[in-house]
Amino acid sequence: MFWTFVLRAVQFRKRRLALAFAALAVAATLATALFSVYSDIERKMRVQFRGFGANIVIAPAGGAQTVPLAAVALAEQQGAVAAPFIYTVGRVEGEPVVVAGVDFRRAGPLTNYWRVDGARAAATGECLVGSNVAAHFRLKLAHSLEVEGAPCVIRGIVSSGGAEDAQVILPFDIAAKLAGLQGVASLVQVRADGERLASVQAALASQLPGADVRLLHAVAETEANVVLKIRSTLFLLTALILAITTLCVSTNFSALVLERSQEIGILKAIGAAEKKIAALFLSESLILGVASSVAGYGAGLLVAWWIGRQIFPESAAAGVGVNYGVFLPVTGVTLAMAAAATLAAAARIWRIRPAVILRGE
Amino acid sequence: MFLRFVSQSIRRSPRRKAMTVAAVAMGTAVATAMLGVMLDIGDRVNRELRSLGANLMVTPKARSLPVEIGGISYRPVSVQDYIPEDQVQKIKSTFWQLNITGFSPSISASAPLDGRNVPVEGVWFRRRFRGADGAPLEAGLRTVNGAWKVDGRWIDDRDRSAGLREAPFEAMLGGAVARRIGAKPGDTLQLFGQPFTVAGIVSTGGEEEDRIFVRLEVLQRLVNRPGQVDAVQVGALTKPEDEFARKDPAKMTPKEYDRWYCTPYISSIAHQIEEVLPMAVAKPIWRVADNEGKVLGKIRGLMLLITLAALASAGLTVWSVMATTVLERRAEIAIMQATGAANGLVAALFSTEVALEGAAGGLIGSWVGLLMAEWVGRAVFQTSLETPAMLGPVVVGAAVLASIAGAAQPLRRALMLEPAVTLRGGE
Repeated sequence: MFWTFVLRAVQFRKRRLALAFAALAVAATLATALFSVYSDIERKMRVQFRGFGANIVIAPAGGAQTVPLAAVALAEQQGAVAAPFIYTVGRVEGEPVVVAGVDFRRAGPLTNYWRVDGARAAATGECLVGSNVAAHFRLKLAHSLEVEGAPCVIRGIVSSGGAEDAQVILPFDIAAKLAGLQGVASLVQVRADGERLASVQAALASQLPGADVRLLHAVAETEANVVLKIRSTLFLLTALILAITTLCVSTNFSALVLERSQEIGILKAIGAAEKKIAALFLSESLILGVASSVAGYGAGLLVAWWIGRQIFPESAAAGVGVNYGVFLPVTGVTLAMAAAATLAAAARIWRIRPAVILRGE
Repeated sequence: MFLRFVSQSIRRSPRRKAMTVAAVAMGTAVATAMLGVMLDIGDRVNRELRSLGANLMVTPKARSLPVEIGGISYRPVSVQDYIPEDQVQKIKSTFWQLNITGFSPSISASAPLDGRNVPVEGVWFRRRFRGADGAPLEAGLRTVNGAWKVDGRWIDDRDRSAGLREAPFEAMLGGAVARRIGAKPGDTLQLFGQPFTVAGIVSTGGEEEDRIFVRLEVLQRLVNRPGQVDAVQVGALTKPEDEFARKDPAKMTPKEYDRWYCTPYISSIAHQIEEVLPMAVAKPIWRVADNEGKVLGKIRGLMLLITLAALASAGLTVWSVMATTVLERRAEIAIMQATGAANGLVAALFSTEVALEGAAGGLIGSWVGLLMAEWVGRAVFQTSLETPAMLGPVVVGAAVLASIAGAAQPLRRALMLEPAVTLRGGE
């Protein structure tokens, strides 16, 4: 009997309920999408900052000119990306030129910002040249170049706007041999995750007492700052929008009760208990709430997925920003609001006097 | 008569009207807050990103290749190329001068210190000067490198003469140099045969840690290169590079060239600096410029899409609220029709009412939304956001349009029905 009432109420007011359903579902969609995006924006933004290259540099301290190569392994044990660099001066066509030794395999993630015409790495017998070097000696790709009498084929022309532009870049071992050094580097660049930066630096500093382990403040701080600001902006916006949409939802549910005063009057006139009527409305609201939050959740995940795909296509493998865990909070909030709004409006049920209402006042 | 109908209708059920207006206001507030934040967040983040340091490097057109490792030159000194110091200020007279947040000229040399050659840079720390139009401007190391930490104090070189007579031989040491020689602020050290007082110690983590900074004029005099500058770092607010920006300006049509020139791409700002300093080359520092653009692009895109989603849902909310109110009043429509009102009149009546409600809700909502955007701006960026003045009116207009659009379909349906059928209570 009770459920027949509920079912019929839904059947007879299809259009009205469809509108209420739509409003609620839209709110749930927005909440799900915003929560989803917010919940992993930090990780995504930090990935973006990897492009800035190293955030820790291990440089020689005191009177030393070099740091031990073991520093690379130590940094890698900390879960960081690390690469050694070596610098020396060599002669090209009788002119002195800075020769850099780079461990291309390790340095790849740290040198993303190099703009390279050709290949980004060189093997033995090959080299990369900076754009200024190329212009100065009129070098082109696949030309051969003699550095200190050893020939190498140019595989790429690097332009970074930094020191690399005036360097000849060789594989690390070959440059080390040229410099007459072994087992050491001029400096080691390290890229640690933003969250673990301080602990990685502290660990490296204690393991390498003879070296100067420096935090690149500009990169580290800007990353922390921007990530924090974007996160808090999204958080505040999500909170505000959630507050507004729940308000909107609650007025919607009150309206569902208020506009049915006549029906309440009839029910009371034929002897229905107030509690029963309130239960009727409550179950109607909850059914509507569950249906719309499920629909909204699905739509919200789609929106979050779409946003993730559009903006962060490179992290597509990692789930594209869809967070299934937001279902409970979203449904919970929606249902709680629906119930609260219905009950608040249902207080009227006790006050309605059938005779007055049915007379049409 | 017409107006009385409308005002009567509003007076008769103030509670229901208030609820409708409130719903429209909420939708509008969401839209306004999102738009307000979205429109300005790019600029805010761009400014935050400037703490990464310079994104453009201006150097003299060199005839020779620099041979430098860690700031020490390994080339015997011959003829030096330079940028004249008195030309440097022209950087602030380019087309995109407002986007240039700072620049810092420097001259480099090296001096033996504790048995080792240390690179010494002569710089402006924070120099005040007047722009071409007489506006007060600032330039120098501190305008480009916001994230540097200083133990002690910065050297004060507000103008050419400030402190030059009283304390010309002041130096700021990079952290690594200070650690190596064990210097503290207030100590004295010998450079170029001159006693220098350590004003402060700079920690940056970068190459600067191995350098010593002194006043530009002082180093110019000590190395006998008056009025010469070796490099200028420039920090500029730029638009992220897109496909168009990567085109070669030399191959653009005049129209494309104009568009490129008038967009603050890093390449067009570099080009404009080369125009005012013909003896120099301006190159983007890709490590900063490239990634800055990427991060900014991501944030802009993300906010845009979230805003789109919020706008769509706000529009739907307003639309559904209005549709509901018309749906509820079908009986009223039927009575009007039954008493001989023409369909056009009824439609006009209802549209006016809906538009009024939309406008009222829109006004309240955009006001609340702007307050919220403002609050977010203050809470996150400590400055109020700059929202365009047009935002309010545009949002109110959109609210009215969405209201009318929501009411239109149910209204048309109601008007098409036989009044008798509606009044009997059927569909």
